[in-house]
Amino acid sequence: MAAPYSQFSPSPTPVNVCVEAVLESQIQEVRVVEKPDAPDGHEIQEVYVPPLSMSENLTKLAQKIDFYKDESDEKGKPTSEGEKEEEEKTGAAFQPSLWPWDSVRTKLRTSLTEMSVLLDILNVSSSKEKRYMVLDPVQQNAPDPKLAVQLMSKRRALQSAASVLQSGAERLRKSHAEINNKNDFHLELLNVRQKWRLKKTGTSILGDLSYRSVGSRYMHNGVFEVVKSSDLTAEGEFLAQRGSLDVVVPTELEGGAYIQVEVKSVPGNCITDTMDLTGAILRVPSGIGPVRSETYWQQKLEKAQNVLFCKEIFAQLAREAVQSKASIPHLVVGNQIITNVFPGIQLSIVLCHSTGKEREKKLPQYKMDHNHVLEHSLHQLLRENHFKNINFPAPHPVTALVGLTKKRRLAGPNALSRKQLMDMSDSESMLDQIIKQTKHNVLRLRTMQTIDGIAATLSDPQLTVHWSCCNSSTEASCRVIITSQGYDLRVWHSFVIIIGVDSLKVIIKEGRVFFLSFEEKELQDFIMWQVSQHQISVSQNLARLMGWQIMSTSTAMGVSDLESSGTASSLILAAPNKERILAIKSGPSSGIKVFLQQSQKDNKNRVILPDDKWQSVGADYQQVDLSKFEGRNFASKLELLLATFSHDLSSSSS
Amino acid sequence: MGVVCVFACPVPEGKSGQQVVDGLQKQVEMMGATKSGNFLVDCETYQSNPQNVTQTPQQCVVNILHNSEHPASCFSVTESGQILVSDLLFEDLMSKLTMAKAGRESFYSQRKGFKIESRGQRYEVGDFIIKIGSVSLASNFRGILIEVEYCPCVILNECWNMMKELLQSMVGNSAETPPPVLKHKPDTVYTPSDTILQYLDHFNNFRKAVSAPPPSR
Repeated sequence: MAAPYSQFSPSPTPVNVCVEAVLESQIQEVRVVEKPDAPDGHEIQEVYVPPLSMSENLTKLAQKIDFYKDESDEKGKPTSEGEKEEEEKTGAAFQPSLWPWDSVRTKLRTSLTEMSVLLDILNVSSSKEKRYMVLDPVQQNAPDPKLAVQLMSKRRALQSAASVLQSGAERLRKSHAEINNKNDFHLELLNVRQKWRLKKTGTSILGDLSYRSVGSRYMHNGVFEVVKSSDLTAEGEFLAQRGSLDVVVPTELEGGAYIQVEVKSVPGNCITDTMDLTGAILRVPSGIGPVRSETYWQQKLEKAQNVLFCKEIFAQLAREAVQSKASIPHLVVGNQIITNVFPGIQLSIVLCHSTGKEREKKLPQYKMDHNHVLEHSLHQLLRENHFKNINFPAPHPVTALVGLTKKRRLAGPNALSRKQLMDMSDSESMLDQIIKQTKHNVLRLRTMQTIDGIAATLSDPQLTVHWSCCNSSTEASCRVIITSQGYDLRVWHSFVIIIGVDSLKVIIKEGRVFFLSFEEKELQDFIMWQVSQHQISVSQNLARLMGWQIMSTSTAMGVSDLESSGTASSLILAAPNKERILAIKSGPSSGIKVFLQQSQKDNKNRVILPDDKWQSVGADYQQVDLSKFEGRNFASKLELLLATFSHDLSSSSS
Repeated sequence: MGVVCVFACPVPEGKSGQQVVDGLQKQVEMMGATKSGNFLVDCETYQSNPQNVTQTPQQCVVNILHNSEHPASCFSVTESGQILVSDLLFEDLMSKLTMAKAGRESFYSQRKGFKIESRGQRYEVGDFIIKIGSVSLASNFRGILIEVEYCPCVILNECWNMMKELLQSMVGNSAETPPPVLKHKPDTVYTPSDTILQYLDHFNNFRKAVSAPPPSR
């Protein structure tokens, strides 16, 4: 509060005096602080309560209001008229008697009034018009958070969460350890059960190794037994790395086995001599040798199953070999089947089975000529057999016999003839099929070698071979192209060789078909014959180009010496002005020869036929020595020859 | 399967059937034919019992034929010439239909003494198959049927002239025109059913001739 003006002051200028309230803060405590420089050695300090903020002040003041008191003062002044009258009435009636429920009634009444007032205030304040009353939120500062307590509680919560996680991890670790633990027999058994067929008979657990469920009809039962390995090794030699489960396979299925297929060429002509009976030497490479005793059961069972499969292949082949009525009987000796594929070439199929006992025996190092392709074919054939045994074409009518093919089933309604039915019933034995494949294999190899050999030695016309990638196990084909270097695009000869099971089929350019046997000499002769014909067609082509006239050609010349194979072909050419004649003869074995007949110009004293056109009649042919000519091959030499003579004569005559 | 023509070979007076067959066989062998087994075509006839078949009051006849050339099939032909080719199991069905059951008569019954068959030698000459069969009705000789098959072709018109030449050398002028059964389908693909229809035609002719005195043996 400032007094702008004071009448006691004589000075004309007014003095400003500031009057303000004393800073009256409440003293919270008084401290006695020791101080050496103070007169009494200590000092008294006052600690004030911090001044209240506006909102705190309001709160404090609001707290001071005694609403009850105000209400009680106003008692007896009800708001509405009706109530007032009623109040007066009841007050008049019960005032003196002091009704025992009076205090209760009064309190109820008070509370009703308070509620009404509160409602009114709320109505006013929450009305749309804010100008009469505004409610301010009363804020009281939150009490100071106590850091220590908070940290404590946080720590406790974290600890409980950690313990939950740890117990869960512990449980997981335990279950994981149980799975990995090999020593649990039952878990192992479960694993075996998932991969192999097991059944319990009596106290033992037996399993099935055989291929019977996929269609095999081999009589071996292929039973193995599942045992606890602790039962076996009662002496305490329990191996830690081995599981608690062990399998006992039949002794005849122990070890490793494979089918060795070998195509041997045997020198000599007589078949009985060529049968190499001592060939059945057991040769087991170390890779598939005996199974180590500590091998895990899965490997052991797989190997035993492989042994069973190989035995089944061999048994089937041996049975078919004995039953078959081939012209040359197949030999079955011990664990070996020997059949003659071609004269001098035999196929031996050996069942190699090592039980692991003769492991230390040093086997003589033998050159293995194992044919992996044929071994694979054998496996494939047996699996096909298995498949056929149980898989029949899918939709069968209920009335039809089981196991018939669809074609056979419809044979009646389609009225198939006897021959068609016979063809249908023919089924090839596994041995026949493998012999066929072997024959094809041998034949293909031979053909390849023959063509390559000729192509390597032959220099004049060149041989090119294109093998078709579309082939099967019993058929392959290739195309051989004969070209002369430098004249490749002008003349080329080609023929296709289709290699069958035991014969070759050759189709030459003009569509003629030749059938050749398995002897490579035939193919050699054929190729040489084609080469000789190629030379003639090159000459013919060149002659036409140079304007020479072709007088005669023949692919099978009847005169001259006999060729060792095939026929010689010939070509007779006349020079553009008929003054010279060339005769070319090309034979598969005799090679190519060129003869020249020249007109006898110098012979002027002809009496009988003096005319020029008779000049060359009766003249002798002289052989041209082609080796004296320049040129890389016959075609270029001949071109030179033709060019020389045509030019020479045309210039001289003109 | 090629085109087949079946013709009856007349048996001249004063000759037994066997003699004619022998003569034909000798002739075929002279042509260079090789024997390739026997053949048999047989025919049985069933008739319906009208009391059971209500829809058609008149009797129905079903001929069941077998041909050794088609060993898995059974051919059934009705009077109207409808033909059904089926599996051999059809015979089981037929035997079931011919069985009398529970006092009722069966649906079909076999006609007694109507079984007729043609059996004989089968020859192969190049692309031709020749069959010389003697026909017997209830084991009585009735006549001779000659079947010629030309294997590489399935359309009659394209090989008829060639077959005619061969047939005329054996059966004479009756092979001037193709068999009547094949007349309506000269340009369509030949089927095994056509062979059966030809045989049935001939069999019916032989049966009709039963009333006439059988040819001298």
